[in-house]
Amino acid sequence: MTQRLWALFRKELRTLFASPIAYVVLTAFVALSGIYFFQHLLAYNRLLFVFQSEAISGGGFDAGTIPLQVNSLNELFIPASNDLSLFLLAVLPLVTMRVFAEERAQGTDELLLTTSLRPWELALAKHLTTYLFVFLMLAVSAIYPAAVVAKSRLGMEHLLALYVGHLGYGMAVAAIGLACSSLTQSQIVAAVLAYAIPFVIIDFTWLQPVLSEGLADILSQLALQAHFDSFARGVIELRRGLYFGGMIVLGYTVSVGSLEFARAR
Amino acid sequence: MGAKIEAKEVTKRFGEHIALSTLTLEIAPGEVFGIIGPNGAGKTTFLRILTGYWLPSTGDVFVDGTSVVHDRFAVQRRLGYVCEQPKLYHDHGVRTFLRLMGELRGLKRDALDEAVERAIVRFGLQEVQRRRIGVLSKGFRQRVSLAQALLHDPPLLVIDEPTVGLDPRQQIELRRMIQSLGSRHTVLLCTHQLLEAEVCCDRVALLDRGKLVQIATAEEVRSGGSLEELFLAQTHQPEERQ
Repeated sequence: MTQRLWALFRKELRTLFASPIAYVVLTAFVALSGIYFFQHLLAYNRLLFVFQSEAISGGGFDAGTIPLQVNSLNELFIPASNDLSLFLLAVLPLVTMRVFAEERAQGTDELLLTTSLRPWELALAKHLTTYLFVFLMLAVSAIYPAAVVAKSRLGMEHLLALYVGHLGYGMAVAAIGLACSSLTQSQIVAAVLAYAIPFVIIDFTWLQPVLSEGLADILSQLALQAHFDSFARGVIELRRGLYFGGMIVLGYTVSVGSLEFARAR
Repeated sequence: MGAKIEAKEVTKRFGEHIALSTLTLEIAPGEVFGIIGPNGAGKTTFLRILTGYWLPSTGDVFVDGTSVVHDRFAVQRRLGYVCEQPKLYHDHGVRTFLRLMGELRGLKRDALDEAVERAIVRFGLQEVQRRRIGVLSKGFRQRVSLAQALLHDPPLLVIDEPTVGLDPRQQIELRRMIQSLGSRHTVLLCTHQLLEAEVCCDRVALLDRGKLVQIATAEEVRSGGSLEELFLAQTHQPEERQ
């Protein structure tokens, strides 16, 4: 990392954590993911208890009486991870909305972009800082599932796949938010766009009735949620990673392009 | 020694509106050069083009022969810029901010430490160096802004409306600072304050509605009366709004 990029990265971190929104978002995300995880854990335990009770009342305890589909993956990790992806969608625009828009509104971009700093360096520092924040959010939220994994039959590698998926998903959603923030100096507009775009692309099945089969098929390949679901099942697929990587590159390209475009306005 | 600036036929259009029209001027190394004019004259537009923040629609500006259109980063390495209404990071401490700006300008460890120390002393920031910029008075913020612009000792210093919002004592202090910068640096000062231009500048360019109206030396201004008289004679009177 170049000296300038490192300096910018530290500046972005300082700015991010000087704002209460980072702490509010982090706290809300960890609290919500924790509460919902324990709700699912409780429901899963109840379900196990019901099956076990029936087995006991039927004449004796037998673990085999619990149906195969009732397992920690289906009853706990997949629903909890779906919740987590929704929480990411809900809170990330609050983090990304200010990243470029605030700089532009306060005019500090003028200060930075007249110091021989390249627009790609500025955009890269902002993107990396936001991705680090996404990583931090997920790392803290991983404590509860990690504790359960240690006690369950699910392997740690499954949890890893799940969180690799979350990280890719979170970074893709953040990249969309950052691209939106780079297009405007209004944080409100940036937030509205950052909610609207993932909301539209999360799932295209609602368009199927009005589209031809071929087009609906193509769109379904572009849906955000579909790419996350395989990670939730514990499978890391290269094409899913490429999809999230593509979103990140697209978001970054839009950010750099908007900085260059502003110069030529 | 300062840098030489040559603006050649610089025009900037925003849609139909022409903010700057075929501006051509030359500024000698070590000169303190003022740009004055009413609101909307194109002063800040020219500074933003010179600093590489905006591209001109046509024309070019050269700093020591380097084109800002073709190699803006080389030009930017040779200048320090004090934006209108100091644009600073209010959540940063003064010292932290200066270090950041020094690092962005490519200063390495020892040179960076030395430059920050020198700037803090030069602009009287010792007592506020650990404070957040957000809690400083406008006068101190303006000093911080000047300090960051001079950290890398550039041959060209570009200053936009430096005394806006300052009390008279702060204005006098700042004018003295700007005067002291001449000869070692070329200073391009854009201002609304005619007195400021008269006191600080070797030459003054008068812009009106995007066009260069006149360039006058300090002597020419004094022999012809005052800058105020020149300004009133050469610029249009804004139409009163209905």
